Amino acid sequence: MHLCALRDIPDGHSRGFDPRGGGRDYLFVVRRGRQIYAWRNACPHPGYEGASMPWRKHEYLDSERTHIVCAGHGALFDVESGECTMGPCRGLGLKALNVRLEGDEQLYWYPDAGVEEQ
Amino acid sequence: MNILGPDGLVFGVDNVAACNQYLTDYGLIPRDVSAQGGRFEGLDGTYVEIRRADDPSLPPALPTGSTLRKTIYGVADAATLEQIAEELGRDREVKRLDDGSIETLDDMGFALGFQVSIRRPLEAADEIVNCPGARQNRGVNVIGAAVDKDIVPVTLSHVVYFVPDQHKAEAFYVERLGFRVADRFTNLGPFLRPAGTLDHHTLFMVHTPPHMQGVEHFTFHMANPSDLLQAGKRFQDKGYESFWGPGRHIFGSNWFWYFNSPMGVHVEYDADMDLHDDSWEPRACESSEDASQIFNFTLVDNWMPGGDPH
Ligand code: FES
Ligand SMILES: [Fe+2]
Repeated sequence: MHLCALRDIPDGHSRGFDPRGGGRDYLFVVRRGRQIYAWRNACPHPGYEGASMPWRKHEYLDSERTHIVCAGHGALFDVESGECTMGPCRGLGLKALNVRLEGDEQLYWYPDAGVEEQ
Repeated sequence: MNILGPDGLVFGVDNVAACNQYLTDYGLIPRDVSAQGGRFEGLDGTYVEIRRADDPSLPPALPTGSTLRKTIYGVADAATLEQIAEELGRDREVKRLDDGSIETLDDMGFALGFQVSIRRPLEAADEIVNCPGARQNRGVNVIGAAVDKDIVPVTLSHVVYFVPDQHKAEAFYVERLGFRVADRFTNLGPFLRPAGTLDHHTLFMVHTPPHMQGVEHFTFHMANPSDLLQAGKRFQDKGYESFWGPGRHIFGSNWFWYFNSPMGVHVEYDADMDLHDDSWEPRACESSEDASQIFNFTLVDNWMPGGDPH
């Protein structure tokens, strides 16, 4: 499934996508140069599992853009591993999704068959 | 003890510019806004203050990294302030700050301030709704829907803490500061109000593992449910992320609408909360979907059914 062009995401920034029109972002990606890190927009905070994470459309990162932040209760996550490093989700991590940058400089999402239902 | 309720909340944050913008868009009145932070007031002057996380004037952060650095209560008069200083001074340090307020810690380690309240008297107009058979109604030729209505949150309503021990937390506020329990979710914690207000709650606690200690949300009272819905709609249209609602709680009866925030806490709009006095008998039950709300809606885009039939 086509998401966007690489140049649509400024280097170092994040962008959310709602490819199936569910009303809130299903996934988000963080761009570092030509590296793309794609995560399900679902906080693992116990009791809040699945909560949407940004504070505003596309805003998934802290001000220095070194960590992913959940704007629910401030959990910090490592951009590359998705592991929670601080806050209420300690010991838990984000779910990685298969998003690839292809030769045409476009990003495509390959959903796991049967797993990623709405 | 004549504590009126929260006068202000002070946050130490990572992204000051985002928080300044967020609280302005939420509808509060910005004062002294800069790259160092700002103060954002409701109609009666109660406020949220934003500072940089490394601002040396703030009390230290909790070890969990929670961004709330201080809850400041407004009290009726200087005598109440002295009463609190004396009571809490018996077993902890109570600092006197230059502005006349006092500062200390509660039994979970949350920093508290107390000051003679800065809140201004409110002169609000009722929301007058037309109800068949009711005595009071809006009147003939008076319009209810106002697209451009100026909507400002009225007064800081309540804050909700994640606490490692709800019983210890309740005991501190009830026994040391004279708060009353309105109702309780047995598995989470009590809804508490200080002696100087009738509001169902100005403080609620959620029992969690210690590494989660921090803040679930805070909220300002809106004048009425339609202001809440209209303000929330505007906020979501600006791109802010709705977390829960709009809906209506059962305990407290307050309408609610919660959003994510760059402070790393939820921020609510609430309206039409129940009032109680000491004749009220607290209710208790386990929390659940159906115990927590009567209804919960999700905002969708405006549309025109039927459209243009030509
Ligand atoms: S919902 Fe993400 S930190 Fe709580
Ligand atoms: Fe609330």
